[in-house]
Parts: sequence; C-alpha cells; structure tokens
Amino acid sequence: MTYVVTENCIKCKYMDCVEVCPVDCFYEGDNMLVIHPDECIDCGVCEPECPAEAIIPDTEPGLEKWLNLNAEHAETWPNITVKRAAPPDADAFNGTPGKFEKYFSPDPGQGDGADETQAAPQPEAAPEP
Amino acid sequence: MTDCPGADCAHAPANHTQLSENGIRLLVDRFYEKVRRDEKLGPIFEAAIAEDEWPAHLSTMHDFWSSIMLTSGRYHGNPVVAHRRVDGITPALFERWLALFAETCSELFDQALVATFMDKAKRIATSLQLALFYKPEHDRPGAAP
Repeated sequence: MTYVVTENCIKCKYMDCVEVCPVDCFYEGDNMLVIHPDECIDCGVCEPECPAEAIIPDTEPGLEKWLNLNAEHAETWPNITVKRAAPPDADAFNGTPGKFEKYFSPDPGQGDGADETQAAPQPEAAPEP
Repeated sequence: MTDCPGADCAHAPANHTQLSENGIRLLVDRFYEKVRRDEKLGPIFEAAIAEDEWPAHLSTMHDFWSSIMLTSGRYHGNPVVAHRRVDGITPALFERWLALFAETCSELFDQALVATFMDKAKRIATSLQLALFYKPEHDRPGAAP
C-alpha cells in the first residue's frame, strides 16, 4: 500500500511533504512531486502536511491514473528530501480544475542538491591517450 | 520540543494523552525489552542485532517513531531494505510484533493514543510485508497456487 500524489500538486508543489517523510520516497518533476510506491511505507505522515491536500491513500477509489503516474515518474525523476520555496504563484493554482490537461509536465525537476553551482556542467576529462 | 516528562508516563500511564519525545523513548525501550525476551521474536532480533549494536538500534527506533508520531523528520532510512536483511522473517512474526507493540502501548498510553499508534504500526507492517513477501504472480487468475 502506498500514498499517491494527485492532480492538485501540479503547479503548487509546496513540498512540505518531503521534510516529514521518514523514508525519503518523494521524487520531483518540473511542476509536481510523486511518491515511489515501492518505497512508501504507508505511514501517512505526509498526508496532513500537504497544503493542497493532494496526497491520498491508494485505498481510495479511482486513483489508477495517479498510481500509474506516480510509479512511472518515480523511476526517472530525481529524489527530493529537502524543501525549497513553493512557486510564487502556487496559491493561485491551488484548487483550480483541469490542471493535469493544462499544465502537467513529464520533465524532471531539480531534486536535492541540484542548485546552480552544482548544476554547472563539469569539464569533461581529457580522453585517454 | 515538548516538555512532557517521561517520568509522568511511567507514574500515570493511563492518563498520558499528550505524546512527547520522552513518551516515545519509554515506549521503544520497554517494547524492545519485551521483544528480546520473547520466545519467537527474541532469537530473530538477537541474530540480526549484535549486543553492542542495541543502543544504536534503540536510538534509530526513537527517531523512527518520533518521525511517525510527532512528524519530527528525525529518521531518514529505508526500512524495507533493513528488513530484507533479516533471516527467518515471516508474516507470523509481524503479527507477534504487533501484539507486543499493542501490549506495550496499552501499558503507557490512553486508548485514543494506543489506537493512533496501532493504526500507524499496522499500516507500516502491512506495507513492509507487501514489500517483503508479495509475489505478483500469485494474483494471476488461474495461476498455480
């Protein structure tokens, strides 16, 4: 069993959840987070922390689409365990309908440690002679 | 940090409604004393955790339950991987673990708090067991038993 991040996370990405998760199972996309279903231990600590109320237990009906989306993107998006600031317009998008169709991005987010200094490309090592 | 003294929990356990770090420490220490003495769980834990590793294990468990019950964020780890390393682990042992945990919670906390602890413990136990024992092929209709 697992918890699942659903539509209202899109464009909100408040990230309060990542700080309380004991098993570090959140992964960051460009404009939403997902939970890795094989890493979540179903403790539920994150659920009440989400200002967007986007985190739901998989025992609720009708979550197949979101279960699949969480499982798929948790494999490729970077892990996130440290909260950053939410997008400046997060509150304006909280609760607006149809966010998946309008805004969902499959692109990865920056994840932990990918600040500007670390994100700078490293010079490639000289090729072996 | 809360300032509820753990001593209160020991002297007036049934009325301990406000959970504190001290309450969690008391629960964890008392629970693992029972575990180590338990006929079924004792040998499994003693084989998995060396004598000199117990203080570190108890400290990890304090952090774990603090993270679960007080959302302190103190624990960060991978319990599924930790349990995969345990020799002889079975679903029956999870049931025994839960029974002892419920017994210990009931000695220390009031009914509402015991219920909260047990809700969390059961969810986590189910989740760990799915990760450890679940075989998707057993779900296929007509699959061999």
